[in-house]
Order: sequence, then C-alpha cells, then structure tokens
Amino acid sequence: MHSTRRSVSLIAGTVLLGLLAVLIAGAHWISPYDPVQQHAAERLEKPSAQHPFGTDRFGRDLLARTLHGGQITLLSAMAALSGALAIGLAVGLAAGMFHNSLLDRLFMRMIDVLLAFPFMVLAMVVAALFGTSLFHLLLAVIAVGWVTFARLARSVVLQARNETSFAAARVLGASNRTLILRELAPKALSPVLILATFELGSLILSIAALSFLGLGAQPPTPEWGSMLADGREYVLQSPHIMFGPALFIMLSVLAFNLIGEGLRDRLDPYEKPQL
Amino acid sequence: MAACSSNTGAPAADTDNAQAQEQAEELVIADQQIAASLDPVEPLTTSYLVSVGAAETLFKVNADGEVDAALAASARELDPNRWEITLREEARFWSGKAIDADAVIASLERSRELDLQAQPFLDGLRLEKSDDYTIHVHTERSHVPVPLNLSYYQTAIHNAEAEHDAVESMDLTGMYQVIEFVPKQKMVLAAYEDYWGTKPTIERILHEEISDEQTRMLSVLSGRSHIALKVPVTSLAQFQDSDTAEVVASQAANTQTIYFNLARPQLADERVRQALSWAIDREELIILAAEGQSVPVTTWLGSNPAYAEASDSVYPSFSNETAEQLLDEAGWQLADDGIRYKDGLPLSVRLMTWGGDKALGEALQSQWSRVGINAEVRHGDYSLIQTARETGDWDASIEAWSTFGDPYTLLSGQYAPGSSANYGGYDDAQTNEWLAQLAESADPAEQREWALKINERVAQQAPVISLFPRPQLTAVSTKLQGFEQHFRQFENIVKANMRWEAE
Amino acid sequence: MIVAVLLRKLMEALLTLICATVILFMLIRLAPGDPAVLLLGQPSEVAAMHTEVYEQKAAELREQWGLDQPMAIQYVSWLGRLVQLDLGTSLHTGRAVSAELAERLPATLQLTAAALAVQLLLGFWLGIVSALKAGTFSDQLIRLACVTLASTPAFVTGLCALLLFAVTLGAYEISSEASWSRLWLPALTMGLASMPQFARMVRANMLAELGQTYVLAALSRGLARRRVIGQASRNALLPLVTVTALSAATFASGAVVIESLFAWPGIGKYALDSILRKDYPVIQGYAFVMVTLVILIHLCVDVLYAYIDPRLQRKRRQVTRGVNEHA
Repeated sequence: MHSTRRSVSLIAGTVLLGLLAVLIAGAHWISPYDPVQQHAAERLEKPSAQHPFGTDRFGRDLLARTLHGGQITLLSAMAALSGALAIGLAVGLAAGMFHNSLLDRLFMRMIDVLLAFPFMVLAMVVAALFGTSLFHLLLAVIAVGWVTFARLARSVVLQARNETSFAAARVLGASNRTLILRELAPKALSPVLILATFELGSLILSIAALSFLGLGAQPPTPEWGSMLADGREYVLQSPHIMFGPALFIMLSVLAFNLIGEGLRDRLDPYEKPQL
Repeated sequence: MAACSSNTGAPAADTDNAQAQEQAEELVIADQQIAASLDPVEPLTTSYLVSVGAAETLFKVNADGEVDAALAASARELDPNRWEITLREEARFWSGKAIDADAVIASLERSRELDLQAQPFLDGLRLEKSDDYTIHVHTERSHVPVPLNLSYYQTAIHNAEAEHDAVESMDLTGMYQVIEFVPKQKMVLAAYEDYWGTKPTIERILHEEISDEQTRMLSVLSGRSHIALKVPVTSLAQFQDSDTAEVVASQAANTQTIYFNLARPQLADERVRQALSWAIDREELIILAAEGQSVPVTTWLGSNPAYAEASDSVYPSFSNETAEQLLDEAGWQLADDGIRYKDGLPLSVRLMTWGGDKALGEALQSQWSRVGINAEVRHGDYSLIQTARETGDWDASIEAWSTFGDPYTLLSGQYAPGSSANYGGYDDAQTNEWLAQLAESADPAEQREWALKINERVAQQAPVISLFPRPQLTAVSTKLQGFEQHFRQFENIVKANMRWEAE
Repeated sequence: MIVAVLLRKLMEALLTLICATVILFMLIRLAPGDPAVLLLGQPSEVAAMHTEVYEQKAAELREQWGLDQPMAIQYVSWLGRLVQLDLGTSLHTGRAVSAELAERLPATLQLTAAALAVQLLLGFWLGIVSALKAGTFSDQLIRLACVTLASTPAFVTGLCALLLFAVTLGAYEISSEASWSRLWLPALTMGLASMPQFARMVRANMLAELGQTYVLAALSRGLARRRVIGQASRNALLPLVTVTALSAATFASGAVVIESLFAWPGIGKYALDSILRKDYPVIQGYAFVMVTLVILIHLCVDVLYAYIDPRLQRKRRQVTRGVNEHA
C-alpha cells in the first residue's frame, strides 16, 4: 500500500514532464504559426479555434510562443540549476570535509554574505555591469543559487562523518580525495538532487521576476518569464496573454515537485531540511 | 486614521455627510513622482511645483500655444535686443514680501547659477532693473522670444533669500501654498488667501506619489483619486464603461525619434538611413506600441502644431519598395536567410530602448526585418544607453524631445555639432549655415521658413528618424469640472476654476 | 562556555559584515552610470547647445561627493563615518540617509510582520492538514493550490486584488500612506506568494516526524491521537523557526514589487529607485542596514538553536519515555 502510493508521485511527475517535453519539442508541428512574426490586424485576440491561447499585442500566436518559449526557459533553467548544483555540491563537500578549518570558515562566510544580499540588488548590478542577455541572467541566478545546495551538502557531510563507515574508511588509510568521492559524495547526491527538483520551480520563477528588470531573453525571442512581464500591462483587460506561460510554468513546477517527492520517498532517509 | 476606520455604524448620517463633504473638497492628484525637494533650483522639483499651482513663472503658454502674461503683468519688445517686462504691484510672495524687480532678478539669477536645466532659457539674457516694477532684458541674439523663454517652469519665480528646505521656510508665489510635504510620498497644499489672481474654488490639494502606473490608474477608477497622470495607453479599455472617470488624451508637442550613431559604418551611408525611414509603417507602429493614441510624424518639427505641414513631408507614405531599392543601391544584397549582406557583413542595427519603449523597439525590429535588416533590441536602464554613448558602442536609441518653443533653440539643441541632443555626431555644413541664418533672422515669418528648411533637410539626410508624438493620457474623475487639456499637460494640471460637480 | 561561543559568532558576524559591504561598495561603483550625469542630465525637454557647462557642473558634483577619489579611500572614509553612525547624505535629495531610511523602515517592518503572520498561519494550517491527510484527495488539492499560487507572479495577484477590492468593491483605499487600514491587502498578497514554499516544508517536516517510531508506539498504546499529533507538531516545527527567521530577513529586503504595486512607502521601493539613480550613499546605507539585519537574525537563530537544541533532545527523550511508561 505504501510503496504504490509513493510510486504514484514519481510516475505522475515523470509522465507530466514527458508530456511537456514532447509538446515543447514538437512546437513546430503542433502550432503552424511563426512565434516571431507580427500581424497587427490580429492583435489581442481572445482564445479561439484559430488561436487556442489567443494572440499578444503584436498579433503573434501565443500557443506557438509558449511552446517555443518553453525550449528556452526550461533549457536555461536546467543550465542554471546544473551550474548552481555543481558549485554548491563542490563547496559543500569541501567545507564539510574540512570542517572547522579555514576553508570551511571562509565558505560559510561567503554563504552568509550571499544570503544577506538582497537578490534584486545583486541582479540589477549584474545587469548593469555585464549586460542584460539570458547568459547574464543565468550568471546572476547561479551566483546566488548555489548557496542552498552548499548548505545542504555540508550538513549531510557533517552527519556522514560521524558514521562508522566513514571512520572505518579513514582508519584504513583512504586519502581525502577517496573519502570525498567514495564516502561522502554519494550520500550527499540524493538529498541535493531532491532539493534540486524543488528549486527548479523557484528558479523558473526567479527568471520570470528578473525579466521585469530587462534581464533575460531579448525581443523577439519568446521565453515564459518575459512573456509574463510583457503581459503585465494588459493583465486587467486581456489577461489571456499570460495564460499560456503561466499554465506551463505551473505544470513544469508541478511535474518537478512530484518527481522530487517521489524520489524522496524512495531514496532519502534525510528528510528534514537542515541548516 | 482612527476617524477613517470608524465607518461602522453609530452616528452614521451626519459624520458620513460631513466626511463626504470633507473628502469631496480635497482634490487628490496621483502622479508618478512628486517634487523631490522644495527648492526650485533642485532637479525634479519645479515642474511639479508649477503643475500643482504652487510656483509660477512670469509668463505662461496657454492651450493654444500662445504666450500669456502670468506673474508678470505685460511684456513688450523695445528693440531687437531689448525687452521690457512690467510686474504686478499687488502680487506677493507667501511670506508677504513684494514681488518687485529686485526679487525677480534675484530669483532668475539664482536659477541661472544653480539650476543647470534653466540654462537654455536664460543663456544670453542680461537682466537689468529699470524701476521698482519694471525689468529690462538685454539679449545677445536679436528677436529672442523672451516671454516664451520665461514661460518654462525652470524659470519659476521664488524668493531667493528664503531657505527652501522646509515647508515653513519655502517662499513661492502660487495660488496654492504647501502645508505638508513628505518626500517621495505626498504633498498637501491649501489655497493661498492673498493670491493676486483668481482664487481657486477647491480649498485643498493632495499630490501623492503612486509610481506604479496601473495602480495609479486604478486609484482614479476606484474614486479615491480625482486625477491620475501618465496613465498607460494599455489601460484605456478599463475606462470604456466607467462612470467614475474618463481618459483625456492631449496631443503633445514632442516627437519620439530614433537617433543614429553616424560613426557606425553601416549607418554612415545616407541611403541606408533613408531606407530605414521608408521601411517604417508609422500607422502600424502607433497601433502596436501606442494603442492608436497618436498620429504619425515624418519630420521632427511636425509634431508642433505651428509646423503641421511638415508632419508628413519627405516620407509621405510607408514604402518597402523604396527602402529595398535604396538598400540595393547602397550595395546591401538580400541573402537566402532574409538578411542583407555587404562584403560578408550583415546589415544589423542594435536598437537600445529604455522606459516604456520596449514594445516600440520590438515593433520596429519586426518592420525592419521585412526589408532584410537584422535589428536587435536591447532594453534596459537609461544609464546603459548613456554609457554606450560615451564609449561610442551603440547603433541607435529612442528618445522624445519637446518640439514646442523657440525654433532656433530647439533646432540647434538637436542638430548643431556638440549639442546635448546631437548624439550621433551630425555635422552638416548646409544645416549649420541655415542655423546661423535662423539665429540672425528678425522676422517671425522668416524664422519659420528657415526652421522648415532645416527641418526638411535633416529629415532628408536622416541622421534621426521621427516617429510620432508620445501619447500623454490623464485620467480625470467625472466629479471634477474644469480640467483643461494642454499640450504641456505635465505642467498644467491645476486650474483656478476647477470645481466639483454640483450634486 | 556560552559566552565564548557568542563572542566567536559575533566576530564572524562582523567579518561577514565587512566582506559584504566591501563587495557591495565595489559592485555599485563598477556598475555603469554616473550619478552626477543622472542627476543633472535627465532628458529635459529642451536640449542645450553648450554641453561644456553640463560637463563642468557634473565634474564639480563628482568632486563634491568625493567620487573622483580612488575607491579604497572612498570606502575608508565611508567606513569612518559609519562608525559614527553617519550614513552620509543622499545624492538625490540631499537629506541624511539615516533619516530617510528611518522614515521608511517602520512601514516595511509593518508589512513584513503582517505578511509573515499570513505566511505562517496559512502555511502551518495547510502543511499540517496535508501531512495528516497525505496521499488523499485533499492533499493533492492543497498541493495543486500551492503550485498554482507559487507559479502566479505577485503582480497578477496584486493587480487583480486591487481591481476587485479597490475598484469593484470600494473596500480598499489606494493612496501613498502606510496606514493600518491599508495593510491587509499587501500583507495578504505577499503572504500568499510565499506561503506555498513554507507549507511544503511544514508538510515534509510533519511527515518525517509522524514517521518516527515514538509516534507509532504512542498511538499503538492507545494514546489520544490529538495529543500525539500535537507533540509531533511541536517537534516538527522547531527547525522551521530558522526558516521563518531567514524568510523574514529576505522579506524585508525583497518587498519591492509589493511595495511598488500598493504604493506602500517602504524601504524596498526606496532602494530600487536609488539603484536606478545610482544614489551611492543610499544604496550603501540600505545594503548595510539590510545586511546587518540579516546577520543579526542569523546570529540570534544560531545562538538560539545551539541553546535550545540539546534541551529539546532531552525533552523528546523524556516525552517518549513518558509515553512508553504510560502504557
């Protein structure tokens, strides 16, 4: 009874994600319209048979833009996530391994400093300093995003160090490198991955939030975040503009949440969020 | 605040009526920004003080574009380089001090010294006291329209001896006196009893800052505010069925213009720039970017009603064929990917936009792509554009400057080499010569001819492309009578004869 | 013992503060945009012919503000004034930064506290309910609601709320005041926006706690379900204190969107405007205050946790022992 209930989440999530991936990858075939071409005569049309999601202020079909935009949003969100994950894992492992050393203290300092920074301020500064392209947005997001992963990895490592298997390996003369790679990394990987699935949702939303500042995909490239930002002016009179990207963001976040929960139920004894 | 929340029953009728009375008497104006300080020489201050009737200029431009006497009683031209201004003997500062020649000259000199924005209007003017209430203005150039110069808000008259750092110490001349000021939040004004002119009907004004444009618009729709400035074009539909408020769209005298960096290789060729102008369907742009709330203008001065004939000259219609022909002539060949190339390089233009111009940029990008131009839109903060201009790393940007005023000042500010609006480095011998002629011209009719000539030549050479005037929308409560449309709406909000609709 | 720990943490906090301010100082100054030019040269309506005057004035301003000196010297002089609790004067309004921040901070704290209350109440309630009914339809429904809320941008909720309550119903006043009567809508919007994340954590913690042996043991021995769940809740929710404290810190610094939307005169919107205008002293002052706040909160939480946790462990052992002995 228990195991089937747990599997449902994982299966449901994977199926949903698969469906979204198919829709997004098949954008060209599903919607015949060019996501970029403008048709002034057809602007701001409500959803209809011809335009299932309606059209935006330039007369562009919103279903086409949503599906094409998904490619960019999801890919860039995954890219940002991978970057944050990799950095966070590395830092967390190192800090935890060499607990109470200078390295550990330094990393913890950095983490505190980054957490103290108002995120919007940092993003705006990055935008002003380096530019507003999608790449720069990802940089801003990674620069702040690795912190949660580092903290989690570090706390997992601190607990793992107290276990007998670790002590045994050390006594048997394993090098630090081996200890990290063989003993600690595998233990840290699953909770961090699970956290990642949950973070992906908020990552997509952060990207959307930063689009308001002009960061991210530049016109006319469709991207869920900037589509939401563009729809803001019309939210009271033509709310349908935001429907497409909002729906897909919700479904993506839902899919990743389900996967994350399913994974956790299966794999992870470390369930409580640690400091 | 406790009084407001006591809407729960008890002495209902009386307090409700009294509250309604009280509330109806205070005029609430919601603006994107309010005065940043109380000192007229500080940036971002005077225009707001003038708009709510706290500060006044010697002269004022009315809705028809004519210059009327305001704080000054009259003005006349004594000779080509001298004007005489007569002041009102009955007018007083809020502190009671007389607004005599000494005070006015002190005020204008203080503005000249401390306020950089006043420079274009006071430059070349020498002020001299003739007697207690008369001033002689000596001008370097001939036939300078002095009253027009002294109608700009930057020349508002204030007491140069007062401190202007607090509500108690500030000293201005307007029909409304500031009684409370919370920076970046609100300013409360009350009618000034000893005002020299028509005393206002409405007793109190609350000028508050609601920087989000949609929230501002909603505040008028909800009935809480009575006037909301700079309402976004995209919210027009909200007002269609509303009984509480309506939108006033006043035609503005400014031109949204694309400025080109003439140092760029692809933009150095005049034919390319002309092609860029021919390829723009201004009607479509207005629909896409301004919800149809404007009219096309093909030359810069065309948005000024006095030069209306120039509004569709040089590029009378949109023509992709002409654009393509020009580009072919210039050597840019269309390739299979839909972009034009020359010597292996694509014809690309990086268009930088800021503020609310992102949609405009995107629409332009689409229109230019139809003739094979690869346009990139870079939307961001204005400081990015400023930095790009300093380093020279830019292709095009969009801005809107006012087209109302003295033709020589306007045109030289735009097209004379080294002027602050001449971003692209335009330096044309013929235009410079004509500007000099315009400067020396005595006759207003002749001035107008020179202006039109310069305007046309610049449009033909296309260092800039004019698009359309930026729409200015104001939402006004239906309860309010007497709101006047003005092409310079931002400094003309409050009028003495504004009153509430009789119940 | 505690004193030594406290001292060490204090030192670390100070170090973090210095690092953060140095980084911020540098970043802001490296960003393009000249505050002098921005202050003077906003596109006015009429362009001037003689730009030399502008440039000269801009140079004068820069000198007056000390911006022409090397960054290290600027930082040191700022630090020097900071020690005397002088945060400098705003380049934009000329008023003392500390005064301007002090004017606006209460409004943000007000909003933050109210939003936090909404987040906690709703989050706890929904999280516990969905944990208790894990796997059922209600659980899925709550999850769906949370994901939908989390995917909705704050401005959508905000603008729709304003349209409904201010325009249609006339129950909310749109103005620039930070009054108690205007607090509920922005607080609700902000609380709703951050609630889903919190509810999910509550649910996860509760589930983990409910899975512990002592709970099963207590229930099997016939203890009142309500009492056991009550105890489990208390145990599960303690780690969330940290999360709550941290989110309080981010709230205060990040309420920009909500403050703009509801014209709430707080510190977030003020900071955003200052960033756009490159008003360095204000940005530095704001960042300093925020960073200090966050570090203080972290410090308190760290100390609190170190103090409470061993006690809690002991207490839990007592409870389980008590529960087992009861049978």
